[in-house]
Amino acid sequence: MKTILNFLNRLAYLAIVSITALSFIGCEKDLEVGLPNSQLTGISVFQNVATARAALAKIYADIRDTPPLTGTSEGLNLLIGLYADEMKYYGEGGSSIEAFYKHNIQSNSSLTEGFWSGGYQAIYQCNSVLEGLATAPITGEEKAPLEGEALFLRAYLHFYLLNLYGDIPFINTTDYLVNASVKRQPQEEVYTAIIADLEQANELLPNTDQSGQYIYATKAAANALLARIYLYREQWQKSLDAATTVLEDSPHTFTDDLSQVFVSTGPGIIWQLPPITSLTTSEAFTFIFETAPPPLAALQPELIESFEPNDARLSQWIGVVTDGTQNWYYPYKYKTRIAGDGPEEFSVLMRLAEVFLIRAEARVHLGDIGGAQSDLNKIRHRADLEDSTASTETELITAILEERRHELFTEQGHRWFDLKRTGNAAEVLQPLKPNWRITDLLFPLPQQELRLNPNLQPQNPGY
Amino acid sequence: MKNNYRHGLALAGIFALFLNFSPPILSQNLPLKKISGTITDANGPLSGVNVLVKNTARGSTSDLDGRYSVNASLNDTLVFTYLGYKPVEIAVSSNNSINVFMQSDATALDQVIINAGYYKVSDKEKTGSIARVTAEEIESQPVNNPLEALQGRTPGLVITPTTGLPGGGVQVRIRGQNSITAGNEPLFVIDGIPYDSQSLSNGYASNPLLPDGNVSPLNNISPSEIESIEILKDADATAIYGSRGANGVVLITTKEGKSGKTRYNFKFQSSLGHVTRFQEQLNTLQYIRMREEAFANDGITEYPDYEYDVNGTWDKNRYTNWQKELIGETAYRNTINADVSGGGEQTRFLLSTQYTTETTVFPGDSHFNRASVHSAINHRDKADKFTVKFTAHYGIENNTLPARDLTFRALTLAPNAPAIYDENGDLNWEDGTFTNPLSILEADYLQHRKTLLSNLALHYQIIPSLGIRLNSGYENSNLDESRTNPNTVYNPDYGLGPDYSTIFVNKGDRTSWIMEPQVEWSIKLLGGQLTALAGASFQQRTDAVLSYFGQGFASNDLIYDLAAASFIQIDRDLEAKYKYEALYGRLNYNFQNKYILNLTGRRDGSSRFGPGKKFSNFGAIGAAYVFSEESFLKNSHWLSLGKLRGSYGTTGNDQIGDYGYLDTYTVSGTPYGGTIGIGPTQLYNPNFGWEINKKGTVALELGLWDNRISMTAEWYKNRSGNQLVGVPLPWTTGFPTVQANLGAIVENRGWELSLQTENFKTDNFSWTTHINLTLPKNELVAFPGLEASTYANQYVIGQPITIKKVFHYTGIDPETGIYQFEDYDGDGNISIPNDQQYTVDTAPKFYGGLSNSFKYHNWDLSLFFQFTKQKNYNYWYTASPAGIMVNQPIAVLDHWQTPGDNSETQLYTSGNNVVATTAFYNFIQSDAAISDASYIRLKNAAISYSLPLGKLTGKVFLQGQNLITFTNFKGGDPEQFSGFTPPLRWLGGGFQLTF
Repeated sequence: MKTILNFLNRLAYLAIVSITALSFIGCEKDLEVGLPNSQLTGISVFQNVATARAALAKIYADIRDTPPLTGTSEGLNLLIGLYADEMKYYGEGGSSIEAFYKHNIQSNSSLTEGFWSGGYQAIYQCNSVLEGLATAPITGEEKAPLEGEALFLRAYLHFYLLNLYGDIPFINTTDYLVNASVKRQPQEEVYTAIIADLEQANELLPNTDQSGQYIYATKAAANALLARIYLYREQWQKSLDAATTVLEDSPHTFTDDLSQVFVSTGPGIIWQLPPITSLTTSEAFTFIFETAPPPLAALQPELIESFEPNDARLSQWIGVVTDGTQNWYYPYKYKTRIAGDGPEEFSVLMRLAEVFLIRAEARVHLGDIGGAQSDLNKIRHRADLEDSTASTETELITAILEERRHELFTEQGHRWFDLKRTGNAAEVLQPLKPNWRITDLLFPLPQQELRLNPNLQPQNPGY
Repeated sequence: MKNNYRHGLALAGIFALFLNFSPPILSQNLPLKKISGTITDANGPLSGVNVLVKNTARGSTSDLDGRYSVNASLNDTLVFTYLGYKPVEIAVSSNNSINVFMQSDATALDQVIINAGYYKVSDKEKTGSIARVTAEEIESQPVNNPLEALQGRTPGLVITPTTGLPGGGVQVRIRGQNSITAGNEPLFVIDGIPYDSQSLSNGYASNPLLPDGNVSPLNNISPSEIESIEILKDADATAIYGSRGANGVVLITTKEGKSGKTRYNFKFQSSLGHVTRFQEQLNTLQYIRMREEAFANDGITEYPDYEYDVNGTWDKNRYTNWQKELIGETAYRNTINADVSGGGEQTRFLLSTQYTTETTVFPGDSHFNRASVHSAINHRDKADKFTVKFTAHYGIENNTLPARDLTFRALTLAPNAPAIYDENGDLNWEDGTFTNPLSILEADYLQHRKTLLSNLALHYQIIPSLGIRLNSGYENSNLDESRTNPNTVYNPDYGLGPDYSTIFVNKGDRTSWIMEPQVEWSIKLLGGQLTALAGASFQQRTDAVLSYFGQGFASNDLIYDLAAASFIQIDRDLEAKYKYEALYGRLNYNFQNKYILNLTGRRDGSSRFGPGKKFSNFGAIGAAYVFSEESFLKNSHWLSLGKLRGSYGTTGNDQIGDYGYLDTYTVSGTPYGGTIGIGPTQLYNPNFGWEINKKGTVALELGLWDNRISMTAEWYKNRSGNQLVGVPLPWTTGFPTVQANLGAIVENRGWELSLQTENFKTDNFSWTTHINLTLPKNELVAFPGLEASTYANQYVIGQPITIKKVFHYTGIDPETGIYQFEDYDGDGNISIPNDQQYTVDTAPKFYGGLSNSFKYHNWDLSLFFQFTKQKNYNYWYTASPAGIMVNQPIAVLDHWQTPGDNSETQLYTSGNNVVATTAFYNFIQSDAAISDASYIRLKNAAISYSLPLGKLTGKVFLQGQNLITFTNFKGGDPEQFSGFTPPLRWLGGGFQLTF
């Protein structure tokens, strides 16, 4: 009897233990793990200005560090420089960079895919910020610059994608169900959307940025981009107006000192990206070499020869390496490779000199020869050059384009986009590139993109 | 949703009550008495024999003199089992002393006890598909990772080492690929504790070296620590692992001590490794001719500045076989093992330690070291009610490798490239014209890993029919890896100093614990035996990761001192948690060893899913009919085993990242103007849920003529639906994937055949053969909305998911010498995706192994062949157009030169013929780049001789791995992951002493 009681006792105890154990299971609460320490919920990011600003900082950092606009060897400065007539290749045979130089780009090129993916990844973040801000409980005054910057960055990125690929989808939502099956839109439509973004940004953005270093977008940045877009679209009056707003109605001033153009305190800088604290610009790392032959790329000898001999930019912005018999040249706009070992430099994306040249070109087309000459000569004087002798419309256009070539070389592909918009690409590149075909004006959409979203068809011709 | 789980809870409670309060068994409460005796075989006393009181957990083991003692009652039966011997059953009745003579039986299937994870089952009575690989088979192979020893050994299992470098990964596929994208790895369980195969490695550090950053967690365990590995394949065997069983389960059982005299064991082994096959590349003469012809074809007479190989900068007569130079070294592997084991009737122990060092085929001092300690203690109380088992493993690994694999460079470098070292013995950059391949050795990848695995299993037999068990485990693994990039890797022309030297460090720490209470109950019911098991599982895992980047050092000697870096950036400081809970049970009814029914089930909850999706149920039914137990066959002299078994059930898959269902922003670690940026973590989808995998199996097992011939034929069909995948997305969405469930159904079906024969057997000579063959088939059965999905250009309904859609190569245009392809859409242009309509399947058509073992007196010889019929990417896939500054396979010698030529390779181009270049890139994305990669390989050969040394026993052996390969593969090794070091051929020997 006692043993049976004992046994039943034990059994009951066991049952209690088991049921207690089992009741732990099946309760969702037990499986909640909370957020990892390095994450915030999407909603909480936009509860205050500081975290919303951090979300924007990530976009600026991505533009600085990833294609298409990075100053590394994966960015436009070098790659488009090689693709056009600015840079000559010296690296390893068969590399993906060589394909730019030889015009051998295939639709599976990881570098052109980088332009595309880097662009759209940053655009997604702009849209995420815009959607977050739309319902954010922060005051309108605090919200305006944040929203303005996101709109500006979205327009800026689309601008480059459009000029690299032609018809592209304009992405303005984070909804992946929509974005996964988008179609390419005609350039006209994309430009309309870009301009709308910029006009809205212009309303929202401040005149000076909070850092005082112009590392965040301002009204002048929006207007300078509008001036460039209208120039590309040959809407001369609008281009002139936007340029004039920047030149006359912004805190930026033109410096006559070539050595002050690329230092971080340069008064003519409209927008620049600071490198990571205690590092230096990737442009300096990518372009500078000390002994010859060049390890990766050097400036094309034809570009050097095209400078007037007494052009101060030749000595100030171009470095030279010699082995006694032959000279090689590299872009030396950015000089500091070790922090503290030279002037502080940021990567400049927009500066006043370009706006002067935009206005000069617009003025020529609008018949204001004197105004155009004055804008052009401002740039020439700074380079210790005499007034331009160009006086007719045709002469002036040629002179301005040549000036752009010498002022803006290896900066975000200005030269290539100029060759394209003026219809000069074939004439200039045919003799240099045995592989030149007219279809080279546009890059191929990444082939994986076409596989995943057949709506993006057709591929650009020639690929 | 809340109601659902309450419902489940109620059911579970009722189940538990039923278990606990059903009438106690009418057990014979007879007094126990002590039975003892001696066990012998033809050679004298036999130690280590298991003695079990039938239908109880009581038992013992014979000591070195063959003596045993055990407590049993009058009505009990003692069962004596020993691997390789026929089991003996003797009723106790009035005896107090029972002496036993055991007969050896090399092929006895009955008493092979299979580990099924939560329970054990004899091979004869198992209802599921469980394959077993024993220590003997593992130890005869000179491998570093125990998983590599499984290759070809069991049907239905494909093992692919991803690199021939030590410390790399191993891909394991059990019965094919179930999931469309990631998450096809099986569940690994070591001594009852699930072991996370997800690597802590950060791809940024390890990717250039180890494909996909795949660092196998099992590298930490020495093959010599392992007693057996069981592979659970079908629903019956895996459903008890529920959500983690979809891709099969690999159970690893470590060794434990045997009672008897204290035994010391020492083993030393040394092997040499080489690349199995070099790819035949052009020599300098052929190469320079190709280059010159290419420029001539392109109409270029003046060689460009940077084409140093042909423009006269480099010596045009110099020749280096770069494969020999860069991946042609001899790799060494030395292993030392020492262990001591022993114990008495109640307590047994094993302590073992091992040390391995291995080098690579690269020049330089890359090496891998591993030291580990393994211990096991087993104890049972005098009353035989309580048993405890504790095992612990601690291992340390150090891996020093160059930061990048040299294999790809070895194939592409121009054969007339300059010498590696200059006259001073320094790296030669040839005035900056030569990117020296060994500059890669200036950068190091270092990896330190420490792993602690411990397991405590308690068992208490309350009454003979009811036992409770608590299985608990604790795991701590720690990974510390770094990749340096000193300024000396850059061409000195840049003039960069150590200010540009960088280091990336990643430290990961994983702590995981698990508790699994279980109740086991067994009664006689209606003439059969009913066994029930119910248990619960609670698991929690925390991963802490800290990675950072440092740049700018006063000297490269300080690169590992972060305090010396002028710039430090924290890349990631993350702590992630994973929680997991489950309830599981098993009901097994065995009617006279003839009819066996097995029901298993599990209810799982995982924190990886969003609210309302966290739980799911899985279950399976398995049955076996042992027809050889039928009275009319029982005494058949030819049929020793005849069994028909089958199973059907469901399992799941939760191999996705943590927190995937949340909309979050993550700290990027990258500062901008004094602000650390935060960015969206992923595209979030709050709605994804469990993937369900349905598996069915039918098998016939036969043992003939005393099991001299035994065979198994098995048919399986698995279907996985509600696929949980990272759906690939175009970049226009901002991210490459989104986690979601797909309606797609993937079916894996096939035949698995194995045959084991004892061809010859006398006292002095025996010969046994094992053959296994798998005929797998994979099919995408359904995919609603395939056309509109991002998979439209990847999959075809009715075809395997392993197909590749490629261009169809139609030959060379004899007039132009350019590769031609089929223009499917007829638009006159070969383009993606419309013209990539040709499908090629790269999954194996069949694969298997054939092993022969011979014993003659003291000699043992085994030969093991492995074979696969498959297609794979050949050397064209990673090639460059013939004619540019990249070396080529000699196949390019057969090239187009004049109109009318019909050749393998198109005309040479220096890269200045864009039509030819484009055609080439289409060519490598066509069916021409995928060709036969079938092979037959003498995977393993081992010969050993046992030394008769009196009290001391010893053994000397020679072993070889990947010895001979027969293949028509266009490329290096047919198992190679392109661009990475292939698996090596190992040859070595050693000796073992036991006393």
